[in-house]
Amino acid sequence: MTAVIGDGTTAASRAGARWRRWRWVLVVLGVVLVAGVAALLPEPRTSGTPLAPDNPGDDGAMAVAEVLGEQGVRVEYVRGTVAALAAADAGSTLLVSSDAMLSTEQVRELADSPADLVLLDAPVLAAAVTEGRMGFGYPGSDQALSRQTAQCADSDARVAGAVRTGGAGLNGVSGARADTLCFPLGDGRFAYGSTEAGGRRVDLFGDSLLFSNARVTDEGNAALALRALGRHDHLVWYIPEAGDTGAIRGQDAGAGLTALLPPQAVALGLLSVLVLLALAVWRGRRLGPVVSERLPVVVRAAETTRGRARLYRRGRAHGHAAAALRAGAADRCARRLGLPASAAPEHVISALARATGWDERTIGELLYGPPPTDDAGLRSLARRLDEMESEVHHP
Amino acid sequence: MTLTWRSVALTAVGAVPVFLFPAPGTVLLWGLVVLALCVLDAALAASPRTVAVLREAPAGSVRLHTAAESRLLVTHTGRRRLRGLVRDAWPPSAGAVLNRHLVSLPPGESTRVRTALLPTRRGTLQADRVTIRTAGPLGLAGRQVSLTVPGELRVLPEFASRRHLPSRLARLREMDGRAAVQVRGQGTEFDSLREYVVGDDVRSIDWRASARRADVVVRTWRPERDRRVLLVLDTSRTSAARVGDAPRLDAQIEAALLLAALAGRAGDRVELVAYDRALRARVAGMAGARLMPAMAEALAGVEPALVETDWSGVVGQVGERLSQRALVVLLSALEPAAVEAGLLGVVDQLASRHQVVLASVRDPEVEDLRADRTDLMAAAAAERTELERSAVAGLLRGRGVEVVDALPDDLAPRLADTYLALKAAGRL
Repeated sequence: MTAVIGDGTTAASRAGARWRRWRWVLVVLGVVLVAGVAALLPEPRTSGTPLAPDNPGDDGAMAVAEVLGEQGVRVEYVRGTVAALAAADAGSTLLVSSDAMLSTEQVRELADSPADLVLLDAPVLAAAVTEGRMGFGYPGSDQALSRQTAQCADSDARVAGAVRTGGAGLNGVSGARADTLCFPLGDGRFAYGSTEAGGRRVDLFGDSLLFSNARVTDEGNAALALRALGRHDHLVWYIPEAGDTGAIRGQDAGAGLTALLPPQAVALGLLSVLVLLALAVWRGRRLGPVVSERLPVVVRAAETTRGRARLYRRGRAHGHAAAALRAGAADRCARRLGLPASAAPEHVISALARATGWDERTIGELLYGPPPTDDAGLRSLARRLDEMESEVHHP
Repeated sequence: MTLTWRSVALTAVGAVPVFLFPAPGTVLLWGLVVLALCVLDAALAASPRTVAVLREAPAGSVRLHTAAESRLLVTHTGRRRLRGLVRDAWPPSAGAVLNRHLVSLPPGESTRVRTALLPTRRGTLQADRVTIRTAGPLGLAGRQVSLTVPGELRVLPEFASRRHLPSRLARLREMDGRAAVQVRGQGTEFDSLREYVVGDDVRSIDWRASARRADVVVRTWRPERDRRVLLVLDTSRTSAARVGDAPRLDAQIEAALLLAALAGRAGDRVELVAYDRALRARVAGMAGARLMPAMAEALAGVEPALVETDWSGVVGQVGERLSQRALVVLLSALEPAAVEAGLLGVVDQLASRHQVVLASVRDPEVEDLRADRTDLMAAAAAERTELERSAVAGLLRGRGVEVVDALPDDLAPRLADTYLALKAAGRL
């Protein structure tokens, strides 16, 4: 017998074998990696939110936002009240579109903002800011689109000349010193209004879709929108989001769970992942392959008998069971008494009667009587047979 | 490359720098440091492919449940010191429990690693691979290779029934006339005439011979010798069934071995055939000291096959081996269905020419079921099974077959007793 050195592989053949074994895993991993990177790359962000500055659809306002950006206005799109208030300081414009999601608290905080306001479809906020002097029309009472001229002294409206508008409109007490209402729609409603409140300018658009992408090029819509929104070089574009509770009082509530943990926690967590990985590699490599062995067939020989018992039970075959018990008892007793296997029933009965001292009729009934029909009958039969057998075996 | 617990510990030690500089970068850096150390350590470890492994043992065969040893000579031919583990892998039934050995070898030296084996199954055990794992100088990582070093251990039947042999041999000697008691009967044949000595049975005086000579001459007798005994081991599906803790076949093998040992000592010529649909093992033409090793060797690898026995094939085998009257021992199962479909059809051909004995293993579990009065359906089913068995046994007895139906542990002595009884009766 010769000694065995090495397994006949070289470093190159092992590398080749490993490559052939792992290449598909590597391909899959590569695909996943590429897909992940592609998903993480900064994509052109667009949304479907109505009047959002990143919505290129018909009801979006990307066109106006882009033009404002080109004109040097810094457009900041926010979805949270806290962020909106933090961004909008004096000397900037805060656009609020729809206050339906806002709580009373958020409305009050927004009304106290020092920035100039542009309100779209924000009746509660409008009422809070203008102290009830101006309001938005009831939704559902929309008017058809039509061309309207300014018919007021507001310079923005006059420059725009005419707009194509409709919608629910504005209403308000015209003639008060600082209040201007322009583009009358009839019924005492207007498409545009502006006022002074709290030392800042508040513009209200009665038609929220006036400068949507679909209609901004109509008539003087673009001029009115650009002048109203581009008054300062910083525009905070706030579209309230459902689920944003504002959380104005406590700034810390917005911080995540990680901020509550000590700074080491995250790094230690990452390290523990590494430790687990090392542990898996340490325990995962076996000292040689598992040795297998063909096992013999090990069906229990009594399995057939048990199967027959199950058949008897399922078929409620009390008659068959009783016949088997009787035949077995008779067979053993006959052998004990020295009767041949072919002995007639009468001979067996009389021999048993002599051996046990029992009545012949009792024994005849016991061995050859009608079969039992239920469990109780079978049980009593078995007990009687056992008694008879014990009499024969221990006279 | 393999890692050790130390590399895991080293990774965990990284908690200190990470605690001091809590940033993901620290974790990454530590991971790279550990990885570099592990790779370096593995590169510095002695190559397991420079180790020469020579299998010195086992050679030959060993009885079941008897200790054996697997021995490997490990020689280090590399240049760096080798520290590591050697695993000598065997199949589970070899009972190689402590098969991992620490070795530490300077270049050029050898060591022996010994693995104790305690086989728990009959047959040929093939050694599996020898795995060598070396550790680097830091003990962080290592290298590993699994080598195919052929080796095999033949596990012979246990022959636990040999404890019954002395008592049966004593009874054989009684019949043989070598003991003080002289027996004379049908089962003996005339041996020779010798002079009468005081104490001889006067009935054995041969008056005719005495008249021819001046002396009183007695006849001496001896049991029949040089009869042929053919053991037919049925390796079909009925032998695969488990009775107690072992397949039926194991009890049949034990019985065959005891009978072979006894008949061999009695001067009969013993042959063995293991058969189901094909010949599985055969022992013929062996006598004296060579008989039992040949039997054990032949029966070591016999396994039951899940097929039905070809009984006409068995008859063919018997006819091929035996020309004159002999004792044919069928080590099979008394399964009513299998016997009725197979053996009953051909038993006349066998019984007409030979003395046939059917040795069958009885299942103690059926007996327990029959006696159990809590489940009457099971008791009735067991009763029916027993009745069918005894009916088939009756049929076979009617055809002149001796039926030995015994529990697994009793089969070998009962079969031996049957053999002795037949021999005493001169029915061989």
